[in-house]
Amino acid sequence: MAGTASPPSEALRQASLARFLAAETGAHSVEITGLAPLAGGSIQENWGLDARFFGGALPGEQHLVLRAAAATGVPSSLDRLQEFAVLKAAFAAGVTVPEPLFASADPAVFGKPFLVMRRVPGTAAAHRITRDPALDPDLPALAERLGRELARIHRVRPPRPDLSFLAPYDDAGPQRQIAAFRAYLDAHPMPRPVLEWGMRWLETNLPPPVAPVLCHHDFRTGNYLLNGARLTGILDWEFAGWGDPDEDIGWFCSKGWRFARLDREAGGIADRAPFYRGYESESGRAVDPQRVFFWEVLASVRWAIIALQQSDRHMLGGERSLDLALTGRRAGECELEILMLLDRGGNPADA
Amino acid sequence: MRDLPDGPALLAFARDVLLDDLLPLLPPERRLDARLVANCMAIAAREAAADPQGQGEIGAALATFYSASTKDAVPSPTLPRERRREEPASALPDRAALEPAFPAREPHSLPRMRGRVGVGAGAPADDELSRRFARDLRIGAFENSEPRSAAVRAILWRMTIERLRLANPRFLVANGVIGPKG
Repeated sequence: MAGTASPPSEALRQASLARFLAAETGAHSVEITGLAPLAGGSIQENWGLDARFFGGALPGEQHLVLRAAAATGVPSSLDRLQEFAVLKAAFAAGVTVPEPLFASADPAVFGKPFLVMRRVPGTAAAHRITRDPALDPDLPALAERLGRELARIHRVRPPRPDLSFLAPYDDAGPQRQIAAFRAYLDAHPMPRPVLEWGMRWLETNLPPPVAPVLCHHDFRTGNYLLNGARLTGILDWEFAGWGDPDEDIGWFCSKGWRFARLDREAGGIADRAPFYRGYESESGRAVDPQRVFFWEVLASVRWAIIALQQSDRHMLGGERSLDLALTGRRAGECELEILMLLDRGGNPADA
Repeated sequence: MRDLPDGPALLAFARDVLLDDLLPLLPPERRLDARLVANCMAIAAREAAADPQGQGEIGAALATFYSASTKDAVPSPTLPRERRREEPASALPDRAALEPAFPAREPHSLPRMRGRVGVGAGAPADDELSRRFARDLRIGAFENSEPRSAAVRAILWRMTIERLRLANPRFLVANGVIGPKG
């Protein structure tokens, strides 16, 4: 578990981190006043980092987040230096993200690669956001704002030399995802007939390709911070890459991310209308519900595969986490949603 | 002979003590862990109490499905429509031809995992049928026959509902798939 390193190595780590921060900002010294794991982030380790900078570009008391890779990860996530570059691109595009400040891959600094960004106030707790009646009146406006934020992310388009590490996206994008899901299932001990059936539908209902944009690929309730009802940051950029913009819209709306409010189809916070309206007004592009439907089905398949991979991290990777161990069982929820989306007749046993 | 209260009763009581008595004493940042423990106990209790016939019935439904009629039981796969190719209806296509980027792998390439998850608790024949069913659905085997497709969907619903009755019955209720009483 993070934070249980023996005191001498912890002191050394803080000293090397302080030297790094001083060098990056030109401060003559930096004093670390707090370094403790933050809650959340099942894939990455997040640390709250408080530091006092003496001189340099960032003088005074600073409240920061240090983000490093957890012991085992889900495949295909960006490393911290790449995530740092994506965050910078998003920040420059006017997306509400914590300002990215530094990054380093030198293991001598923190033991593993990491990035540092400003700490912004707020909670990302999805169950609270979708359940708190005090927030209800503000949620349609939040959905509209999130639509606008997403459109800004999508305004970042290739080619971008600063993002040259992102895999190119071509017209075979969805097929490639389906092939990867199938390859995963081939190595998995349990057959998943519903996922196979759903992927077959996807493969035979591919939407016409569109020009790729920067996709967040995990844009959803639970991955943004709210301070009261105010949006303070879009988080967790480790899956970002070039892709089809409707993939992010379908992911945001998919049932797996509605938490306590399955009836509120835009992220468990509102109807789709305000979310789509915000997206359309910022992007100038009409949302095509049929395309979104395709990506919503794919979202349920993808979430099921991720859920199974999360329990692999416990089963195979040896990560001691009840949360991860239990996540695999959520694949069944995705399978139910695939059936509800694609078999509108409903459960034949009820007929 | 076992003493009373029996295992399931002890497990249910222990879960109540955890949620009602211990959880409020925990610091707020550890309460989620206690809820996860309670969820594990609930899943374990449901799985222990589950009628092993639930799984058996799905196996039987698959067996019936595959023996329904020799003619229909032969999968008639079609390739994705946009590829516009015809395959003989009587033969399974070569998987390598369908997925050139991913050479066929043995389904059990994670033997360590297999042992640890306790797969194979059900009848091996059911397991094999379920695997065959998954393979057939991947290639769209039954799409050319509406009765077969309907039978496929009926089995998929049943599998999913059985799975969620154990993993998360509340999700079935929230989606209106089963009533609050199950």
